[in-house]
Amino acid sequence: MTLKAIFEPESIAVIGASSSPDKWGHVILKNLLSSGYKGEVFPVNPKDQTILDRKCYNSVLNIPVHVDLAVIAVPRSYALNVTEECGKKGVKGIIMVTAGFSELGGEGREIEKELVEIIERYHMRLVGPNTLGVVNAHTGMNASIISRLPEAGGISFITQSGTLGLALADWTMEMGLGLHLVISTGNKANIDDVDLLEYLAQDPNTDVIAMYVEGISRGRDFIKAAQRISKPILALKTGRTQSGAKAVFSHTGSLAGSDEVYSAAFKQAGIIRVDNIEDLFDSALALSVQPAPNGNRVGIISNGGGASIIASDACERLGLTISELLPATQQKIKKLIPEFASAHNPIDTAGLAKFETYNGIVRHMLLDPNIDALVVIYVHTIMGDPAQPAQAVVDIRRGDCSKPIIACWMGGTGTEQGVKILKNGGLPNYPVPDRAVEALASLVQHHGFLEKVKI
Amino acid sequence: MNGKHDVWELLKEYQIPVLPIVKASSLEEVIEVSNSMGYPVVMKISSPDISHKSDVGGIILDINSEEEVKNAYHNMMDTVNQKVPDARIDGVMLQKMAEPGIEVIIGVKLDPQFGHVIMFGLGGIFVEIYRDVSFRVTPINSEMARDMILEIKSSPILMGARGRPAADINAIINVIIKLSEMLEKNPDIVELDINPLIVYEKNAVAVDARMLKNEKN
Repeated sequence: MTLKAIFEPESIAVIGASSSPDKWGHVILKNLLSSGYKGEVFPVNPKDQTILDRKCYNSVLNIPVHVDLAVIAVPRSYALNVTEECGKKGVKGIIMVTAGFSELGGEGREIEKELVEIIERYHMRLVGPNTLGVVNAHTGMNASIISRLPEAGGISFITQSGTLGLALADWTMEMGLGLHLVISTGNKANIDDVDLLEYLAQDPNTDVIAMYVEGISRGRDFIKAAQRISKPILALKTGRTQSGAKAVFSHTGSLAGSDEVYSAAFKQAGIIRVDNIEDLFDSALALSVQPAPNGNRVGIISNGGGASIIASDACERLGLTISELLPATQQKIKKLIPEFASAHNPIDTAGLAKFETYNGIVRHMLLDPNIDALVVIYVHTIMGDPAQPAQAVVDIRRGDCSKPIIACWMGGTGTEQGVKILKNGGLPNYPVPDRAVEALASLVQHHGFLEKVKI
Repeated sequence: MNGKHDVWELLKEYQIPVLPIVKASSLEEVIEVSNSMGYPVVMKISSPDISHKSDVGGIILDINSEEEVKNAYHNMMDTVNQKVPDARIDGVMLQKMAEPGIEVIIGVKLDPQFGHVIMFGLGGIFVEIYRDVSFRVTPINSEMARDMILEIKSSPILMGARGRPAADINAIINVIIKLSEMLEKNPDIVELDINPLIVYEKNAVAVDARMLKNEKN
């Protein structure tokens, strides 16, 4: 069954909509009305006539037209009833923001079972419960409590932790990262990671899948689903230790903690495992705008030696090679740099950061068969113009050369102009070389998975 | 239910090469078995109550003659009786001493999320101190098995570092994929360790193994 009703609904009911600004039912309705969503939005609450100048219905059953999606933010005691009404109404998808289910254990677990039973009986699909909602940046649908809509882009983000998910979504906005869907999965009572991977695999707006995972239930299905997806999948998995270990019988038992098993499973599934939030989105950014390289041989160009040494060290640490350029390439590059500067990879232009310098060197390096990917660094100085080298790289007509380029414009606010040009040109930019190289390593890893793991 | 015998039979059933092990319950039997096996032999205590044999003097290596067999048997019985007086002893297990080779460990764990997981590592300090091991979720094919062998940091030792002959990687791969097949058919296995599997230039042989099954089944 399609999850389209949830991610691309034509009409939405907000059940538990509220006129008091401190209620989630208010926040969600406001977000939906203010984010540019084109479909119809219906507040539902028996206590109010209008909310936010919209006619309010006392039940979803009284909405005169079809409703694709219901976002439910009612007290738990009403949750089952309103879900049942949604079923009767013919609603296809539910986003259950209401909490107090299996995450509490005990009674909550039982109520969640009943909830799923209703969902299945009416052939609906459910995100949550205990979710902070779903965002579709392309359609302007903010069915969540995220404060503002991210910029539209190719990264879809699945997060198991609600509040962390919010913080992360905010953070991507700070970074100016383009997102497509943000899905807070909550308790995954009906729609889980496997369903979402299968949906996102088919979704034309999703280029990269980023996941924040605490646990996965259908482990084997998850591996199989991920193997079938050639889009890059990145995962930040937390919960590194498993408590309550029993007396261990075997060596393997003591060494195979859940974290080791997750690492193995991700590798088998062709999922890039990252260690922290910064890596998750740094890598997602690179993967969403650049192709995967055919190998791990990196070319580096910089107008300052220090930065290129840091980049080279990072490459070595992450298993990337700084390969020697062909003599012919070196000859061509020599003509573009001062006589005393070296034309060996990594290329140090000895301060030069003119348009012609960067344009020429990058072009020659891209054409060199010994190079699979480029890291282009610009270190800002007071006399420097960050726009020139940026424009120089962006202007290169890539033709049939599909080698990735990762940018690193260092120097904070002074580089803004250049960074903007890079961004508009589809080049991922990072403020320090290490982060640029980390992101590049993810591209290389993805290429390895495409060759070996992906079906 | 998790006796030595079970795991040995199961390994043999899946064509995992094992070093024959024979049980003997009296001194006469011990001598007879040892003589027919050929020296040197290894003697291990056989008791349902003792899982860490070496801790209680329950393993004696490198026994070279009938005379040494007698001494070893008496010594073992005395020491074990002293250290764990309540343990039920039903004799000893005898095994021919394995030729030296590279010791590796291959293990299985049932993970609640992903099902059976196979572990590979070099034996001894590499597993115990450095935790230099790799994992894969089953089913595992030969290419995946090769990757998991090459993935550990100490894999150069298997490749014949410092002029030593290379170990038979294909023999290890074979054990891993046979184990993977075994697990498909035996979902009730919770943990299993082959420790050590001794790998030679040609072939490999399991010298010891332990298995824990889900008792509910």
